[in-house]
Amino acid sequence: MNKPQLPVQQYVPEQTIQHYLDALLQDAADELARADAEVAAPAPAPVVTEAPRAAVVHKLERPVEIAEPQMPAEPMIEPPAAPPPVQQAIAAWREEPFEALLFDVGGLKLAVPLVLLGSIYPLEGEITPLFGQPDWFLGILSTPAGNLKVLDTARWVMPERYTPELQDTLGFVISVEGYDWGMAVHGVQQSIRLSPEQVKWRSQQGKRPWLAGTVIEHMCALLDVSALAELIVGSGGAAGNAAAPALG
Amino acid sequence: MKNNSGQGAEDPILQWVTFRLDNESYGINVMQVQEVLRHTEIAPVPGAPTYVLGIINLRGNVVTVIDTRQRFGLTPAPITDNTRIVIIEADKQVVGILVDSVAEVVYLRQSEIETAPNVGTDESAKFIQGVCNKNNELLILVDLEKMMTEDEWAELSGF
Repeated sequence: MNKPQLPVQQYVPEQTIQHYLDALLQDAADELARADAEVAAPAPAPVVTEAPRAAVVHKLERPVEIAEPQMPAEPMIEPPAAPPPVQQAIAAWREEPFEALLFDVGGLKLAVPLVLLGSIYPLEGEITPLFGQPDWFLGILSTPAGNLKVLDTARWVMPERYTPELQDTLGFVISVEGYDWGMAVHGVQQSIRLSPEQVKWRSQQGKRPWLAGTVIEHMCALLDVSALAELIVGSGGAAGNAAAPALG
Repeated sequence: MKNNSGQGAEDPILQWVTFRLDNESYGINVMQVQEVLRHTEIAPVPGAPTYVLGIINLRGNVVTVIDTRQRFGLTPAPITDNTRIVIIEADKQVVGILVDSVAEVVYLRQSEIETAPNVGTDESAKFIQGVCNKNNELLILVDLEKMMTEDEWAELSGF
């Protein structure tokens, strides 16, 4: 296991992250087992292609930087809410080796395919909150490319460990390619190259449609941020989903 | 919404009165603003809804003052020298809205106004007509007509 370089390790016990990943992996394993039972196919294929998404161009505006967030000592445990059903298309990027960016959300290491990313913006300016919005919507960030609606990523991916103090240490907003939404994260790390075989893929039918799978080698969860953005856009203010942040 | 300026039917320029609440800037259509008053004594009305601060005497007319912070779901703030009561006309009624301060009148092209996110379930989310970048900050444009439901406007008319 690669040990994360962030000082967050001083505050978030490694076992907490391990426990979270274990939960994700268990979830993924359950899905795979269910899929095996339903389809009498041998070894689960890493990819089930329905409608391949058109390739998108990665255009990071700045080099990847390493941030040093300060994390809260004790996360709060909250029960996650049930997600709404979402129609997801399996992306083409899953079929061949791809670059992924590692970043940190509340001490949790996450990876996201570079092709799904737009730009990375350091959180130097103010995120303007809007009244009447759900907790997971932090507000609007003005960027050179226009206004970006900012998602409190931690509330979505780790609601059971979320504390309001996490908002104080956000360092970057990563925009999602093709959407006017961005994810607030605490730190951005290096990019890595992953082959489909390195990923323990997860089907799209579960309660975390944004979770593409887990990468044990890097001890991180792989996010399908397009699915996440689609989930948000698709929610469109639907009661129940917007009020409760957690789709974890 | 009325077109405040005749310049270009395709992309009209609209004027907005901006005010501040909780360190954020908001804009309301200038055509709906009648005047801006310094804070004056607001007489509470027994039995009034929580969003009604009370009434004021405006040159012999009784005007209901709405607690804008409460309406927007913001925390209360003390009255300061900058506090203003903006007298507006909405839903064929004249009411006052209490704001932290009034800033200026800005000109915005219709094309500059972006739609607000459609993720809020709170009733107050409907008040947001759009957002716009102006003077290096985000201006939140408020639809005064939607600040109250029809029932609430009807209730206000009873004061």
